[in-house]
Amino acid sequence: LLWKESWEIGKNPMASNGSPLHGPRIKRIEKAQSLFSETKEHTFESKAAEEHAKLLRIQHELEVSTKQAIFVDSSISDTIRTCIVLGNHRAAMKVKTEFKVSEKRWYWLKVFALATIRDWDALEKF
Amino acid sequence: MAQIPNLDNAPLNLKSIREQSQRELVNILKNIRGKKCLVIDPKLSGSLSLIVPTSTLKEYGIELRLLSAEPVQTECTKVVYFVHPQFNSMRFISSHVHDDASKGLQREYFLYFVPRRSVACEKILEEEKVHNLMTIGEYPLYMVPLDEDVLSFELDLALKEWQVDGDASSLWHIAKAIHKLEFTFGLIPNVRAKGKASVRVAEILNRMQTEEPVSTSDMSIPEINTLILIDREVDMVTPMCSQLTYEGLLDEFLRINNGSVEIDTSIMGAQQQDGKKMKVPLNSSDKLFKEIRDLNFEVVVQVLRQKATSMKQDYTEVTTMSQTVSELKDFVKKLNSLPEITRHINLAQHLSTFTSKPSFLGLLDMEHTIIEAQSYDICFEYIEEMIHKQEPLNKVLRLLILFSVTNSGLPKKHFDYLRRELLHSYGFEHMATLNNLEKAGLLKKQETKSNWATIKRALQLVVEDTDTANPNDISYVFSGYAPLSIRLIQNAVRSGWRPMEEILKLLPGPHFEAKRGKFSSSSSFDMSQGSLSSIDKVADGRRSLVLVVFIGGVTFAEISALRFLSAQEGMAYDLIVGTTKIINGNSLAETFSENSS
Repeated sequence: LLWKESWEIGKNPMASNGSPLHGPRIKRIEKAQSLFSETKEHTFESKAAEEHAKLLRIQHELEVSTKQAIFVDSSISDTIRTCIVLGNHRAAMKVKTEFKVSEKRWYWLKVFALATIRDWDALEKF
Repeated sequence: MAQIPNLDNAPLNLKSIREQSQRELVNILKNIRGKKCLVIDPKLSGSLSLIVPTSTLKEYGIELRLLSAEPVQTECTKVVYFVHPQFNSMRFISSHVHDDASKGLQREYFLYFVPRRSVACEKILEEEKVHNLMTIGEYPLYMVPLDEDVLSFELDLALKEWQVDGDASSLWHIAKAIHKLEFTFGLIPNVRAKGKASVRVAEILNRMQTEEPVSTSDMSIPEINTLILIDREVDMVTPMCSQLTYEGLLDEFLRINNGSVEIDTSIMGAQQQDGKKMKVPLNSSDKLFKEIRDLNFEVVVQVLRQKATSMKQDYTEVTTMSQTVSELKDFVKKLNSLPEITRHINLAQHLSTFTSKPSFLGLLDMEHTIIEAQSYDICFEYIEEMIHKQEPLNKVLRLLILFSVTNSGLPKKHFDYLRRELLHSYGFEHMATLNNLEKAGLLKKQETKSNWATIKRALQLVVEDTDTANPNDISYVFSGYAPLSIRLIQNAVRSGWRPMEEILKLLPGPHFEAKRGKFSSSSSFDMSQGSLSSIDKVADGRRSLVLVVFIGGVTFAEISALRFLSAQEGMAYDLIVGTTKIINGNSLAETFSENSS
């Protein structure tokens, strides 16, 4: 029952997609996370919710710093790719360490991203 | 080319079913006098077009619209809605009514629920204060004949509703449809069911029989001899594999919808007209398609090539030699089949652009490796790489489900790892999808050892040296893998459940067997008492008929395999397929993602 409840909360903000009210949305997800963490079986869900909230925060910061509303609601991988495509390698690196992205995935993302902007030199070096 | 299949050769008089639905629909429309605008639920439009061609509707002076949030733009003062009883549609309709009222438009509203009214939906209308403004009725459409041997109940979410939400209303719908069939064709004497939902349907069916009996006396021989009910849950492996029959591949890449595909005209050889779409009907009225639909795609290419060359030969003969009139006549007859040949050559060519890709071949290879269930690590790494490359989510889920089902779940460490990678790559909103899949048991933590290897061996699911050109086994439809569901049916038709109880126990859900009506001496409704006798041949030499119902959908490849079975020598039965929906791995995976519902 508790689980169901937390689920609803977790789902709600996703329904209210695209609203500028990121603050309350992050709070909702955090609420869901704490509810998940109250039971033992849902450690995975709890972790996911925690990461989701963190991701939204970072994306929000990125949008403010780049002044482009293209980050929120994309996945972690997409965020990293967008960063590399924009040439913001430091931000990409930060997201990578923040979410402990495995080397394997990192390489795929970097190769794809560099290929999209046809940065063959960087690809060569890398 | 007829959009609606002609059902003349059907082993069962399906035409009468279609005509009945047609009559009912026309009656409803005739009873509403004057010009009217028909607003149809988009989900219904396909099935309705298989009942009544849109041109016929236009002859009645009817304007057609699809239901959406937008208000209805029409001159007509009478608006007729045809919808599934769903909350969303109710909201649309009430907003339409409010919108009209605010504009001062005076209209009459008629609302027909398909297949039956629902209290909850009418409640919404009451709350919106529009209930008393409309005339409400029912249009009892429970099934649509898709082809000579395929009936669909058009319940695309049945599997998800039952497995994830625990909603059993679709089971009632299925039982009702079968019961309706019994009113026309007589009580079905033998019932075999496997899987939880199937047994439920059999129970509901029996209750309906007691409440509203089909009389058994005035019908000499029931036309359908046996009913086999199979849960999709029993075999989730097959739909996750890429189908390799012609029709199956068409569905995988182009999506067959209500017996036709929609494709760019450029594929069909038309020049210019870029971006225009056209509908290509695919049903057994097309003789060439009937011949090749169930063949393995490799063979289809050969057959088409043969046809084309023989045509060319005939042509040169005609131009070089003097011909008698009758020979010329034969030639012209052959020429008539030319458009069909061209059409399928175009389609096949388009398909081969997909099937010749190395990525497709790699995927096929991987599917077989998973089914063989020997190299766990290779499969795991392949899926991991797919996620990292962010390949289409449905494709990944399909393979992952296949992987999880054959291993009866994944070890906790891998399960959590892959789930995390999925969320990272595709976004956290897919948490809900993962949760649905877990509830349905399609993607889960490993708890018991997998018995897939035993099942595979006992039912001979993997067949070496499959000859796709001259198949002698159903495994040709997947080039070496015999679909589990069809193997079960093959055995059930031959000898009933009894000889394979051991294997059935390894598969999910209970099984059940019963004789009904005057054929049973006692009401043998407990499991142990099921009859042993194989299906008796009907005395007057007709082939007896088996209705196979898939609860949760069936793939084209499986239908092909069934057709193959009934065409075998020594097979005394015709098979008819009933299904909640025609599915493939992609459409099935989609029903589980949360945003689709």
